[in-house]
Amino acid sequence: MSLLAVDQLDVTYLTRKRPPVQAVRGVSLTIGPGEFVGLVGESGSGKSTLGNATIRLLSRPGEITGGTVSFNGQDITALGEDRLRPMRWRDISTVFQSSMNSLNPVMPIEAQFRDAIQAHSRASNGQVRKRVAELLTMVDIDPSFMRFYPHELSGGMKQRVALALALALEPKFVLLDEPTTGLDVVVQRAILERLRVIQREQEFAVLLISHDLGSVLEFSDRVLVMYAGEIVEEQAAADMLRHPRHPYSRGLLGSYASPTAKTIAITYIPGRPPDLSKPHQGCLFAPRCVDAIPLCRMKAPELLPLGDGLVACHVAKMRAEAGQLPEQQGRSWRTQAAGAVFTKHTVAKDPTGAEDILRFEGVSKLYTRRRGFKTTLVQAVDDVSFVLSKGHVTALVGQSGSGKSTIAKLVTGIERPDSGEISFGDLRVDRLGRRGLRDFRKHIQMVFQDPYSALNPAHTVLSTLMRPLINHKGMSRGQAQSRALELLETVGLTPPERFGQRHPHQLSGGQRQRIVIARALAPEPAIIIADEPISSLDVSIRAEILELLDGLVREQGIAMLYITHDLLSARLLADDIIVLNEGKVVEAGRAEDVIANPQHAYTQLLLRSIPNPFVEETAAD
Amino acid sequence: MIYFVRRFAVFLLTLWAAITLNFIIPRLQPGDPAERIVRRLNPNSRTVDPNQVEAVRKMLGLPDTNIFEQYLQYLQTLVRGEFGVSYSYFPFTVTHMIGQTLPWTLVLGAVTLFIGFVVGTLLGAWAAWRRNGPFDSVTTLGATFLGTLPSFWIALLLLYVCAFKWGWFPVGGGYSGDAQPGWNWAFISSAFEHSVLPAVSILLFAPIGWILGMRNNMVTILGDDYTRLAKAKGLSERRIALWYGARVAVLPNVAGLALAVGGILGGSVVIEQIFSYPGMGRLLFEALRDGDYPLMQTVFLFIIIGVLLADLVADFLYGVLDPRVRRGG
Amino acid sequence: MSMLQQGETPTVSDALPLDEEGAVEQQTRANRRFRVPGWLGILWENRKSRVGLVMLAIFLIVAVFAPLFSPHDPRSNDFAPNLDPGSGHLLGTTTKGEDIFSQLVYGARTSLIVGVVGGLLATAIALVIGLTAGYLGGTVNEVLTFFINLALVVPILPLIALLSAYAPGQGLWVVILIIGLTGWASGARLKKAQILTLRSRDYITAAVFAGEGLWQVIFREIMPNMISLVVVGFMGSAMGAIGAEAGLAFLGFGNPETISWGTMSYWANNQGALVTGQWAWLLAPGLALSFLIMALTLVNFGVDALGNPQLREE
Repeated sequence: MSLLAVDQLDVTYLTRKRPPVQAVRGVSLTIGPGEFVGLVGESGSGKSTLGNATIRLLSRPGEITGGTVSFNGQDITALGEDRLRPMRWRDISTVFQSSMNSLNPVMPIEAQFRDAIQAHSRASNGQVRKRVAELLTMVDIDPSFMRFYPHELSGGMKQRVALALALALEPKFVLLDEPTTGLDVVVQRAILERLRVIQREQEFAVLLISHDLGSVLEFSDRVLVMYAGEIVEEQAAADMLRHPRHPYSRGLLGSYASPTAKTIAITYIPGRPPDLSKPHQGCLFAPRCVDAIPLCRMKAPELLPLGDGLVACHVAKMRAEAGQLPEQQGRSWRTQAAGAVFTKHTVAKDPTGAEDILRFEGVSKLYTRRRGFKTTLVQAVDDVSFVLSKGHVTALVGQSGSGKSTIAKLVTGIERPDSGEISFGDLRVDRLGRRGLRDFRKHIQMVFQDPYSALNPAHTVLSTLMRPLINHKGMSRGQAQSRALELLETVGLTPPERFGQRHPHQLSGGQRQRIVIARALAPEPAIIIADEPISSLDVSIRAEILELLDGLVREQGIAMLYITHDLLSARLLADDIIVLNEGKVVEAGRAEDVIANPQHAYTQLLLRSIPNPFVEETAAD
Repeated sequence: MIYFVRRFAVFLLTLWAAITLNFIIPRLQPGDPAERIVRRLNPNSRTVDPNQVEAVRKMLGLPDTNIFEQYLQYLQTLVRGEFGVSYSYFPFTVTHMIGQTLPWTLVLGAVTLFIGFVVGTLLGAWAAWRRNGPFDSVTTLGATFLGTLPSFWIALLLLYVCAFKWGWFPVGGGYSGDAQPGWNWAFISSAFEHSVLPAVSILLFAPIGWILGMRNNMVTILGDDYTRLAKAKGLSERRIALWYGARVAVLPNVAGLALAVGGILGGSVVIEQIFSYPGMGRLLFEALRDGDYPLMQTVFLFIIIGVLLADLVADFLYGVLDPRVRRGG
Repeated sequence: MSMLQQGETPTVSDALPLDEEGAVEQQTRANRRFRVPGWLGILWENRKSRVGLVMLAIFLIVAVFAPLFSPHDPRSNDFAPNLDPGSGHLLGTTTKGEDIFSQLVYGARTSLIVGVVGGLLATAIALVIGLTAGYLGGTVNEVLTFFINLALVVPILPLIALLSAYAPGQGLWVVILIIGLTGWASGARLKKAQILTLRSRDYITAAVFAGEGLWQVIFREIMPNMISLVVVGFMGSAMGAIGAEAGLAFLGFGNPETISWGTMSYWANNQGALVTGQWAWLLAPGLALSFLIMALTLVNFGVDALGNPQLREE
């Protein structure tokens, strides 16, 4: 018998002013004892809502409006909080999406374990302390930390504590909602690996919710893919990896590639998810689907058994009935991509022929950090040198705290180096005064990580784009306006007149990022610094933005500094890669050389930390 | 520890700034302040008596020296506690008058502050816990409505209805004439009786800020992840409300205590005047009315020092309650 | 093999709040209304603030057209003293024989002038200090924060009274000036906090890279996002100013010749209006004050909800 059974569950957000949003629609799933199940979907897919509904922790205005949730055979859909309370944590526990904030800031760690343990047992304080020490050791934290307050721990430690806390009463089922999002890549991987080991030992069931199909496939036994409030595909992880059947799953999986290959093709899915407050007809994915047939727009597909799994797709079903199973097509599913493709060939470009734009020579920067009466020195950048050249992308790769952001500040002149030279042609960037800096900004522009914070909500797209044109190019308002419309077209926002009149809140994340790129292009700069430009976008559209950047750099002969923690995107976009650790360059060279043949242990660690669902395949290659 | 040391240093610095402010205010206007005071005191005479000006100058510590020497001298008199002689209560010294009135204001202020804080915080917490219920609506609306009423007006109505008309309480003063001030029952009961109306007038308004502040903080915190996690842990409602909700939501209220002390001391000018209560607020009122400059300067200084001390205590309390500031964050 | 990795920050939705063109257009229109006559449209949507706006409008009309509404000259003491309400005088007459209703009407003028001018002055000071501290940061911020905290803890009413005792005159404008100069601290603190948050947004850096100067950054990029806070601050300062003037006048520290609700209360109390049974003389100005403050409070509900979705009713 299954441990957790969800049957035809509907969850609706009912607000007084807006139409109700059906965030979860007719979802059924089961999880057996000790099973590790992954649930994948992009933001807005309803995966967190579904997770919270299964443990009856929906907060208003979300409500279960249909279907049932059963735990251990008992229907808990409408169970009162008093009846539910004894089951909580003892049977069902959870780790939240933002575990940074899920610990009480004014209680020591030990007390937060104690109240959970003592709410469900008669353990004495001494016994609790022993148990907490045991649990902390289990997640590789020294037991002495139990006396600390949450703000005294790092993000990764808080996450481990939250995990240990969830396991305090040896629950039968643990819901993990994006448990490592927001953490450094290396830390993410370490925590997930530890979790999988403990889970195998203690045999509790897990529902792991994530937007990252890569890690989910790697760690789960079985995977569910969710789109627009519905489950569109369910398969064993190994099967999903070999032959994803739903075009959406294929699209998501298409954003994985081997960075070592000569030619890398990455897919993306144009368009955006539907508005769930409106009535729909047919398959919700159809507007974004390349395989869609007329039937898809008329009739919603049901989630039906196909092979060993379940798929909700007319086309997949027809193909299966016609005997065209993906298995028989070998690995060709990757070439029949579920969307547009961004292909990168390794061409033997000769970087020596390109014109140098900016030289960064032997630069060091020391920060003084004051805390209380103590001051500590941080060597943010330590003797770093590189060259940015015309039409070339140089990637700066490293973990958070590696010094990559400081380098961006040094290149733009916001910070001055302690030693070393930064020269832009004859101009010494490290010696610029206030006025000189202002003039220099004609030549250097930025693309930011978070498109939500990078556009002023008070201005229309057009007026945002006109400012640099008026300031840097000395255009009149009329000239600036027509140039701004051209820029919108350049970044693929058509018709430009319509986008120009909008405010940022009327645009999707991907559209916003295009505006940010258009603004950076406006003064026709020689250099663009792109600081993690895709890492806060949904997986399905990341390649789209990379492709845009790639095209612009090559066509307009811009020198780009691409700052990232992600080696695959660096490989896709960059000609050269510089790997940075603790302010030092540990490895630098042609992108394909660095990836194919990493020399330094740190580069190898970064490569290993990347979610890697294709381990066995790679080994077989 | 660093937190407490730093807070104490800030206190000393603020105290110095406040003392200096008190020194600057009389010197802000152009011309000779002593001369202007004398003019104000004798509005009917056209000429100014130089002897009188000299006397005022001495009283204010305004000798014919440069401003730095004046400042040094001002600080010296402060340290020695020499605040001069009051005009209106001659021959009593300013120090004597303050000694007479300080205890009354201290007791009335401390008691109303404490009751107001506790009652207001509890009501606010309960309103937040039963958010959007009838209790919440009544409390929030009632507090908001009460907050719009002028306090002097309410005090006058109370005085009229409860004292003049119904005779439940004495119409004014701090104690009845036949009681001897001291630790005797007759005096204490009389003083209590006299302080009921002023206290009620203050207490009608005192909890409003605490209610609304606590409610809004706690509503936010009850939606926070750690409170949701507490629910997921299966903790009792009581524990969630008290240790996850109220425990954190009360912090901004504690931080606001110092401001409330200033508010109560400021309001005491009005309330004590209406009820003829023998406290420092009334003393300040009379000093202002009678142009008793040495007295008003000193009372104002005492009020500021009182507020700053309260600020220090509130900050220390905050440090004890919030580990994030106590243990560097 | 690997994938395009997830970021070190949570991903954001690519979904639009509203998908169809019509809805977006509609939103644009709503947004335009929000921007041009400012927050007024949004305020009108909120039931509480709509009531407040209507009340405020009534006070404004009465104050502007005071001569039309008042049956007599408020200063004229040609009437029989101590008349009861009715009898040709709606609210009766004072002990000096002045018409109470006419004084009440003219009192609205005083209170509104005090509220608007005092509120504007305090808001302007708060804005300048908050902007400077928040935008420049560093040592400037620390020094200004120190002064903001000092000004916050000093009790306002005694300070105003003390300053007016030294002031060269006793007129209403002196009182307004002093109130404005003393009531900026809490507004400055809130604005500083807001600017510190706004300043770290990427769009501020982006504006600098778009070649904007300091003032353009402040007025084009920061200010439009602070409107609701500035309006709330102005309302708060206006309420404080109105209350302070009334309290000061009630204590007799204003100019007793000014006709305001505070001085009316002062004279009513001074002449023992309650004891002699002249209820209206004391009740009317107190209620008028209360209604004016209530109007501002109600309007503030709408403005608060504008800036803080947490406070919106579910």
